[in-house]
Amino acid sequence: MQAQPTENPDKALYAAHQKIYPREVEGHFTRLRLLSFIALLGFYYAMPLVQWEGRQALLFDLPARKFYIFGLTLWPQDFIYLAALLILAGLSLFFFTALLGRVWCGYACPQTVWTEVYLWMERKIEGNRGKRMKLDKAPNSAAKIRTKAIKHTVWIAFSLWTGFTFVGYFTPIDELGTKLFTGNLGPWETFWILFYSFATYGNAGFMREQVCLYMCPYARFQSAMFDSDTLIVAYQPERGEPRGSRRRGTDLKQAGLGECIDCNVCVQVCPTGIDIRDGLQYECIACSACIDGCDAIMDKMNYPRGLIGYTTENAALGNPQHILRPRVMVYAAILLLLCGSLVTHMLQRIPLELDVIRDRNTLYRETRDGLIENVYTLKILNMDSKPHRYILSADGIDGLKLVLDDADIKVDAGTVQQYIARIQADEFNMESRSVSIRFHLQADDANHLSTTEEARFVGPGKN
Amino acid sequence: MNAPLPEEIPRIQKAISVLWPSFATAIVATGLFFSAFNPRDLIPFNLDIDISPLAAYSIGFFIFWLLAIVSSYGTLYFTISNCRFLKRQQGN
Repeated sequence: MQAQPTENPDKALYAAHQKIYPREVEGHFTRLRLLSFIALLGFYYAMPLVQWEGRQALLFDLPARKFYIFGLTLWPQDFIYLAALLILAGLSLFFFTALLGRVWCGYACPQTVWTEVYLWMERKIEGNRGKRMKLDKAPNSAAKIRTKAIKHTVWIAFSLWTGFTFVGYFTPIDELGTKLFTGNLGPWETFWILFYSFATYGNAGFMREQVCLYMCPYARFQSAMFDSDTLIVAYQPERGEPRGSRRRGTDLKQAGLGECIDCNVCVQVCPTGIDIRDGLQYECIACSACIDGCDAIMDKMNYPRGLIGYTTENAALGNPQHILRPRVMVYAAILLLLCGSLVTHMLQRIPLELDVIRDRNTLYRETRDGLIENVYTLKILNMDSKPHRYILSADGIDGLKLVLDDADIKVDAGTVQQYIARIQADEFNMESRSVSIRFHLQADDANHLSTTEEARFVGPGKN
Repeated sequence: MNAPLPEEIPRIQKAISVLWPSFATAIVATGLFFSAFNPRDLIPFNLDIDISPLAAYSIGFFIFWLLAIVSSYGTLYFTISNCRFLKRQQGN
């Protein structure tokens, strides 16, 4: 890979920003990206509207402190699952980067997806690349202001829809919609809708590739996951050089030319404004627009496609290629291990929690029958989606008696109930002053819903 | 040294380098903090404050963001002043 040194690379990074006008492109990979964008955006905008068992299927209900993911309800206690999911997402990114390079950047990153949508709207309203450049250079006129006003109105409308949908993931979207149309939106709901809308409008309308260049941490460290077998977008200099313009049908050998006709299409279609022919660069988000752009030119020239294409460093150098290599296998192994343990834990998760708090005011008291009594507050948390009746038992001391103020333990779905439990035991059956006892809680209609919690039982002690 | 003078870095880039990492940090901090503590339990002395959960989370987020901004700005400030110092030494 040859890189043409710029005059002052450090300065270049801080040079005044030049607006990039990506040229429209058609082709195999562009269609693939479009498919990905439609699927992802469709998911984003439609998902909050999907219902599951009478409520929003995917809802991170912040006010109620519960996350609903289809049939699963996660409580703050289940934070570990969410953390594991995030780690899983990070590891997947590592795995796919090692294998496929920056496929995330080009096909799935929200920054790319929304930038492409806003570009598409810009193209529909202002016209193709040439027209857009001309429009921006032209002095202000009624026509220019009208075109720009239409563009920004459409952008802002789309941004507001995006922001509304975003907040709809955190408060039920049907309520949010009702509040919006009756003018009853809360101040913070309004704020976050506007905040996210503004972020979308700014990021996708104006900042665009600058987010990738200056703000994205992944863009900076992704090269650490790269090796010689990672998929990259590259130009074949040995085939293309020496580049130069020519008529169609010119004998390449006679003219002493390579297959690159130096038409600059690959530069014009690039959303980050680089020249892929300079070699692999960190600005390249592997969106493959230059591949499609170049292939179309190659077709016109009757040259074989693929002067710019997906390849690996080893493939380009003619070395043997390996898909399964230690790096990929290690990432895959960790990923599988984590996935497996997450799924196992999720399946074994018991949506029932019991907290036992010993009465701190009195250590113990003696009953009329001469037994030692300790009092406990039990907090029963039913995390299941159905109400349950529970049977409580206790053991740990011979002849131990459990007395409940309210023998009928019934907890509604997704609520906490408190019960007072008294444990009575004969002092002579206690091995020491403080003995460990266990409370068992068992749902009467579901065998798997059971939990055990330890507590201390305190007596006067043997003399 | 080819590095640009601190004065040559556009103000917008300085602002983003302070606001953006602190924003991301604040999101993580807010998530961690409020998964451990319910805002309802945080009102001191049983004060009768009626605050919606969303407001509590939002205010919490902004406090975290502010703290992280202070930290990020500190880093930027010291980097720039060190940079100036080195330049001056080179100049002499």
